[in-house]
Amino acid sequence: MTSSATDHATRLDPALAAALRRVVGDDALITDPGALLVYESDGLTAYRVRPRAVVAPRGTEQVAAVVRLLAEAGVPFVPRGAGTGLSGGALALEGAVVLSLARMNRILELDPANRRARVEPGVVNAHLSRAAAPYGLYYAPDPSSQSACTIGGNVAENAGGPHCLKYGATVNHILGLTVVLPDGEVVELGAGSGELVGYDLVGLFVGSEGTFGVATEIEVRLSPVPEAVETLLALFDDVDDASRAVSAIIAEGMIPAALEMIDRETIRAVEESVYAAGIPTDVAAALVVEFDGPRAGLAADADRAAGICRREGAREVQRARDAAERERLWQGRKKAFGAMGRLAPDLLVQDAVVPRSRLPEVLRGIYDVARRHGLRISNVFHAGDGNLHPNILFDRRDADEVRRVETASREIMKLCVEAGGSITGEHGVGLDKREYMPLIFGEAEMAAMCEVRRVFNPSGLANPAKVLPLRVCREWVGPATAREPVAAGRAAVVDAATGGDDGVGA
Amino acid sequence: MSIAATDARRAELTEVLAREEEKLLACVHCGFCLQACPTYTRLGDEADSPRGRLYLMRAVVEGRLEPDDDAFATHLDRCLGCRACETVCPSGVEYGHLLERARAVIARESGVGFATRALLTVFGSRLLARTAMGGGRALIRTGLAPALLRILPRRLQRARFALAMLLASRGWAGLRDAGISGPCAADAGRPERSEAGRAGAAGSPAPSADASPAPRLRVAVLLGCVQQGLFARVNAATIRVLEANGCDVVPVPDQRCCGALHAHGGDLERARELARANIDAFERAGIDVVAVNAAGCGAAMKEYGALLAGDPAYAERARAFARRVRDVSELLVELGPRPGAPVQIRVTYDAPCHLHHAQRITRAPLDVLAAIPGLELVPLPGADECCGGAGIYGLTHPELGGRILEDKVAAVRSTRADVVVTPNPGCMMQIGAGLLLAGDGRPVLHPIELLDESYRRLPTRPRD
Repeated sequence: MTSSATDHATRLDPALAAALRRVVGDDALITDPGALLVYESDGLTAYRVRPRAVVAPRGTEQVAAVVRLLAEAGVPFVPRGAGTGLSGGALALEGAVVLSLARMNRILELDPANRRARVEPGVVNAHLSRAAAPYGLYYAPDPSSQSACTIGGNVAENAGGPHCLKYGATVNHILGLTVVLPDGEVVELGAGSGELVGYDLVGLFVGSEGTFGVATEIEVRLSPVPEAVETLLALFDDVDDASRAVSAIIAEGMIPAALEMIDRETIRAVEESVYAAGIPTDVAAALVVEFDGPRAGLAADADRAAGICRREGAREVQRARDAAERERLWQGRKKAFGAMGRLAPDLLVQDAVVPRSRLPEVLRGIYDVARRHGLRISNVFHAGDGNLHPNILFDRRDADEVRRVETASREIMKLCVEAGGSITGEHGVGLDKREYMPLIFGEAEMAAMCEVRRVFNPSGLANPAKVLPLRVCREWVGPATAREPVAAGRAAVVDAATGGDDGVGA
Repeated sequence: MSIAATDARRAELTEVLAREEEKLLACVHCGFCLQACPTYTRLGDEADSPRGRLYLMRAVVEGRLEPDDDAFATHLDRCLGCRACETVCPSGVEYGHLLERARAVIARESGVGFATRALLTVFGSRLLARTAMGGGRALIRTGLAPALLRILPRRLQRARFALAMLLASRGWAGLRDAGISGPCAADAGRPERSEAGRAGAAGSPAPSADASPAPRLRVAVLLGCVQQGLFARVNAATIRVLEANGCDVVPVPDQRCCGALHAHGGDLERARELARANIDAFERAGIDVVAVNAAGCGAAMKEYGALLAGDPAYAERARAFARRVRDVSELLVELGPRPGAPVQIRVTYDAPCHLHHAQRITRAPLDVLAAIPGLELVPLPGADECCGGAGIYGLTHPELGGRILEDKVAAVRSTRADVVVTPNPGCMMQIGAGLLLAGDGRPVLHPIELLDESYRRLPTRPRD
């Protein structure tokens, strides 16, 4: 195995460690290999790469000081929030140090009059809405992991969520950023007013997946809690009917707050869990359709959507009677990913977007891929914006199954792209989708993206080897990369994980 | 040592955990447990989260981490075992079960700390436990404990904390006169019951002579080690309240410590011995139900089935026994607790983790309190979060345990309640100690004590 080279790469120079400790304190630098083990994966466990160290600064000044020290030493870094990402974005490739922002979790300012808040990146998404609730406000983007994921991670990945169908993704809710650039310089992006003056650098930074630097303070827009909400649960005996209903609701010009699909396999996992929502387990698929806004007209919208569902073949359309029932439905939907552990030891969650008019055929195609490769795939996704999340269930101890998962995953991606879609809706490219980028972008486009990255990150030290295929953006060659990168592609890494060799020398 | 021998030794060490691999694999790494974890939310380190700890366990099973690795011992030791992560886990990972097995691996390889070892030895032995508890009671009775607490210098943090815990078990002399007003005030001066009535299990009165038509439920009360040693009054109150609600309370003199502390500490063998002894004892008594008034003990006894699953002679009996175990609040709600006389005080309820998370009993204790007219229940912010008690966590991890406790004490004080109630001796002592050290003498009681007092104030004590 490659232990000598990798061991070298995973050790932190003692002088650098001492300097980092002086900045952050003894308890905020982790170098013990055993303790580092838990940082080798984020929410996507198909990849494992142990970081060289974890450093957990508090406040912009400490982050800047840490980044400066790392930059001087030529050591790359990767910011990490709660580690709930699903594209391997927080993996420490190229011998990187993890910059943990979990301890930077203060809400610095809540300004109800101007519907704004200023937060540190480690603030948990749901905690922000909880803090704003007494003022009748909330933070609209609601990724399913919102009870755990952080605003900083949401900014990095431009996170979505069920209600982004109506309210837009994270980028539509960020007003300003304090950013530590990869050389340690601190800059302010955006005007506090939220009015755009000059280039939209905030828009550029949101979704840059940690490759442009670290956001240390984030100014967000808060939205008024809607006056009324109507939530429908439509039950279908045929997945095709359900997806046609989705296409029809959108085609008829309705704008639901959320429009989600859950298939039978997923419903069964959820209904066995503490988040059981009372969805019948014998249906083929269920749609959750929600409308919110001023009370007037809302019931009519719900009736109309219910009518469309029935017309397309819904067996039954139920209406959440109260807030508690609605909350149960949403908890069931949002915790579905976590409940997959009931179905199989391992899980690969995909994230792709297709035009909503093509949903029926693409879904059929996905189930067909599963059948051909003898795999189980469960679907739970944001149907309203065509954002699919096929979950491929497997057992990593079965090498043949792992290979079939690889093939199936790639086939699904191609299927979505050929239908006019994209390789990610909200999870980001990270490491997982890096090699899929050429499916949707040409060399010139990717080279242009690389140029943009160079403006923020000329050294390449910020979250190296992510987003763009390595050959496209191979600008940075430091001491730790004088060898082949730890992860050359998913197949290699998954195989490495299966073999118990993560390339870091246990 | 040859590689083969090392591997064999590792395999033997980790076997207890490796057998649970399927349970470990249920974790999909979603992270939904992170914010439920008292250590993660305070330390912000993945290794101090449930997900991180499961990851370490899996690494040990996979042979990627040595079972004697410092990281493994440190981060698993730092877990409170509150199991709040189980309540939020969509995949139903049996974290508490896995934690006990991981700790068994650590205990065999790295040994356990002195304080833990001493504690487990004491509770495992009837004689030692009785002596220690007697000594503790004497410290309180003689006034030595409060005096010591006053004069001990602040730097002797652990000794002060231990004393404060002991003192927190003292009960509340003012309960008899608390919240008396209205028509029932006159009853407050009723003569006290006999000594035998207060003595607990040994002196539990025989079933009443006036035979009732319905067969009465035969109930045994688990007395427990700490509970009977320092909180005998709670056991006595439990017996009176059950009798008032129509149960035949059957004494079971051979019962032992439930073994929860041993299991949590990784001494599964001793826990199994105690479990077997209890199953024998309670089976002999021929009871319908075992009522438990300590959340930690109830949780452990309900899991005897899993604990003894590998013991052919006991596996089935353990499962049958576990089905008979009820928390006393659960049992009272099943019986429909009789309303008592008014006790007009402001009460706040803290949910013990081993009731709320391990046994998933959330409503029953509140329903029991609702049987007391005039009692005002003030919600405790974060009532379902751990107080940092977790056995002797306050002594083994004074810094972190102290931080967790501080938050609980602040929450309690924000309620302006007269009394805190929580149905677990460890939590009672922990919260009581925190309040005492913060200069707050607010009593911490078991909810059953309030219901007992409410019944005492009735013109005629209810009987079936």
